[in-house]
Amino acid sequence: MSIGGSDLDRAITQLRACRPIPENQVRELCHKARELLIEEGNVVGVDAPVTICGDIHGQFHDLMELFRVGGDVPDTNYLFMGDFVDRGFYSLESFLLLLCLKVRYPDRITLIRGNHESRQITTVYGFYDECLRKYGSANVWRHCCEVFDYLALGALVTGAATTLEPSEGPIAENINIDNLPDSDAEIEIETLNANGEIMYRYARNSDSQSTSAASQANSNPASSSPIAPTPSRTGAAGTGATSSANGSNKNDTGAILCVHGGLSPLIDSIDKIRLLDRKQEVPHEGAMCDLLWSDPDEIEGWGLSPRGAGFLFGADIVKCFNHKNDLSLIARAHQLVMEGFKEMFDSTIVTVWSAPNYCYRCGNVAAILELGEDGSNAGFVRRSNGERGGGGGGWVLGSNVGPEGNPTAENRRLSSVLGDSMQRARDGPGRRYRVFEAAPQDSRGMPAKKPAADYFL
Amino acid sequence: MATQEIPNLKSLLASRRGGPSRGRGRGRSGPGASHEDKEAMRDNAIRNTDQDAAGSRVSCVELGYLHDPYARLFASQPSTRRLPLLNRGTYVRTSAIDHLVDKFLTTYPDSPKQIVSLGAGTDTRFFRLQDGYPESRIVYHEVDFAVNTVAKLASIRKHPQLHTKLGAIEPPRTPNEASYYSPTYNVHALDLRSLASSSDGVPIPELPNLDPSIPTLLLSEMCLTYLQPSTVSSILHIFLTRYIAVPTPAALVLYEPVLPNDAFGRTMISNLSTRNISLPTLNAYPELSDQRARLKGYGFVDGYKVADTALIWREWVPKAEKDRVAGLEMLDELEELELLLRHYCVAWAWRDGGAEGVFSKAWADVQE
Ligand SMILES: C[S@@+](CC[C@H](N)C(=O)[O-])C[C@H]1O[C@@H](n2cnc3c(N)ncnc32)[C@H](O)[C@@H]1O
Repeated sequence: MSIGGSDLDRAITQLRACRPIPENQVRELCHKARELLIEEGNVVGVDAPVTICGDIHGQFHDLMELFRVGGDVPDTNYLFMGDFVDRGFYSLESFLLLLCLKVRYPDRITLIRGNHESRQITTVYGFYDECLRKYGSANVWRHCCEVFDYLALGALVTGAATTLEPSEGPIAENINIDNLPDSDAEIEIETLNANGEIMYRYARNSDSQSTSAASQANSNPASSSPIAPTPSRTGAAGTGATSSANGSNKNDTGAILCVHGGLSPLIDSIDKIRLLDRKQEVPHEGAMCDLLWSDPDEIEGWGLSPRGAGFLFGADIVKCFNHKNDLSLIARAHQLVMEGFKEMFDSTIVTVWSAPNYCYRCGNVAAILELGEDGSNAGFVRRSNGERGGGGGGWVLGSNVGPEGNPTAENRRLSSVLGDSMQRARDGPGRRYRVFEAAPQDSRGMPAKKPAADYFL
Repeated sequence: MATQEIPNLKSLLASRRGGPSRGRGRGRSGPGASHEDKEAMRDNAIRNTDQDAAGSRVSCVELGYLHDPYARLFASQPSTRRLPLLNRGTYVRTSAIDHLVDKFLTTYPDSPKQIVSLGAGTDTRFFRLQDGYPESRIVYHEVDFAVNTVAKLASIRKHPQLHTKLGAIEPPRTPNEASYYSPTYNVHALDLRSLASSSDGVPIPELPNLDPSIPTLLLSEMCLTYLQPSTVSSILHIFLTRYIAVPTPAALVLYEPVLPNDAFGRTMISNLSTRNISLPTLNAYPELSDQRARLKGYGFVDGYKVADTALIWREWVPKAEKDRVAGLEMLDELEELELLLRHYCVAWAWRDGGAEGVFSKAWADVQE
């Protein structure tokens, strides 16, 4: 039988209920997916708006929660940065559902490869055993692994807005409204909880914004409320860099590179990624391996990775790479962060982690990152609800763009390389993080199967 | 998690339909369960933790983390490969305790020494010490529930590799023997909690061959943590005043979890509670400093130290050994490993008069 049209929709329905589809359908699906993926470059171009997600690791019910929080496909445009499988108990259902969605809505969902999308790793970390258990043979695992080899290695998001359209959501409990920036400020970062309530807001170029809101949320260790790491703006005040960014250059955010792990000493430009031959098992070393395995770290230059594959790379490497490639941000996954996301190196790189209570053991929250569409071609209109003082209604993203070609933009870019390490070449995109916890229930309202996580007993 | 625990679709369906619950000791107490039933269920869950420990050990041995030809012989279940981070954690746990025991045995190597393993379960340490320290004069004692000691003695009887280690001593004979005594190796079937109820003056259960006058190391590797803090104090008080006479040098080595109040700790407590397992000392001694204070409170005035297993991996394991272990399996779970290792500690404390005392000497340079 062939899988297409209504078959595909049926498969999606079945997988959404966390029920695996028959082996012959998997084969067909994987075949279709390969045909689609082979057409994609190593670095897929993606237009904002897009919602960027990190590791899923077979936590199917949490993936459903992610869709609940972030919106469904195809309404929301998604980019998943790999590690769909292993560790959780429903790698199969999670990966096949994502794959079905990819085949069904190829332009609304992008899947890139994580280091767990590999034959070798899946035999150690669970996906292989899961397939064997659920189908009685390794065929399905083999089909999936063939798809893995075709997954892109990265994605390049363009057209993201530098400021967020502030969300209308109510303020989350424990957050003091006075600590949030004014509603007419340009919002660079916003953190919302799973109910869409505002937990944190950061206005671009404000040095004294809502840090107190942040520390307040932080002061309650029992609450799992994550807060945005306060981006440091040391050294920015009074320089040409800060003044130039004052709302006058909304459209000059560079592209955002998305990759599972990070950078490679063998890769200094995105074009070099494009040249790799990706259609193979993840090698033990080399550029392709590094992109999937490396981690940012508080070091200078490159360091050996304790993972035994990939490298550690410092702020200087990221800043240089971003400058050279006209990037404003690298989004990556790969590392568990208890708060769901973590910005580093003056917000030049962010880790996004989307598996809440990872392995049913870690107690962490998860996050997804929404990048809005550049106001100049979208014209999002924010309707004022008159809740808070300030400018009143009708604030249109991108409507008050200053003179184009702001001369200081170029200076900023230079200064970042020429030693002022705290400068970014480009304003980062506006970033909305939605933070969520593990799904309490599975789709049928049964308590989600909470497998006994192993401890030392 | 172990691959064996990946649910099989069929059995999942069955259990959703109310089929029999799988797994040992994991059943939840139903609404009608009486207090005694619940108690029994909890005890059972605690006794069964031993097979978790045994399984983790076997996984480590088979992958080359630990050298232990005996682990396999005690495991009641077919070996399942544990995840790399669990293997790493088990490695740190075992090698940390081995390190402290080694320092003890090699200090004044000619003098007799005694080790009492509380809740020993299927621990293989006695057999490994026979191989590693053939010259030392060790009297080894193990204490556990009768159910576990019976099983352990049955394994010993069954495997020549084990009972030949008992030297000239007759191997255990009858099938349901719960205790075993010899000048070197003793297995005592005893619920440790029964000691807590015996007050001063009341006779305490006899532990044959336990020598009250030779330097003694008490070992609790994930055992006392399952008991109430007051019970633990009473048990240790009995050991430190009655089984081992003051001022005989005595020490305690603990391995147990810490940091119950962060997200990982809270999740651990809630996950284990679904298995009917609670860890009373975890809440009672949340931080490493609490562990230290606790040890001092037991009367170990000459030294009381504690280190979490993340530090132990970093600082105790020599570079070459670290490289060897790190090379055994690709470990892609570093953040989780760090979390996990920080939530377990090894604590060691002693009374021996200080200075030239055997423990003071043995452990002077062990870093906390
Ligand atoms: C997790 S196992 C650890 C076994 C062994 N120490 C090891 O680390 O491999 C805990 C052991 O403590 C024993 N135990 C717990 N409470 C006990 C009690 N009240 N009396 C005797 N043994 C007990 C259990 O039966 C079990 O064998």
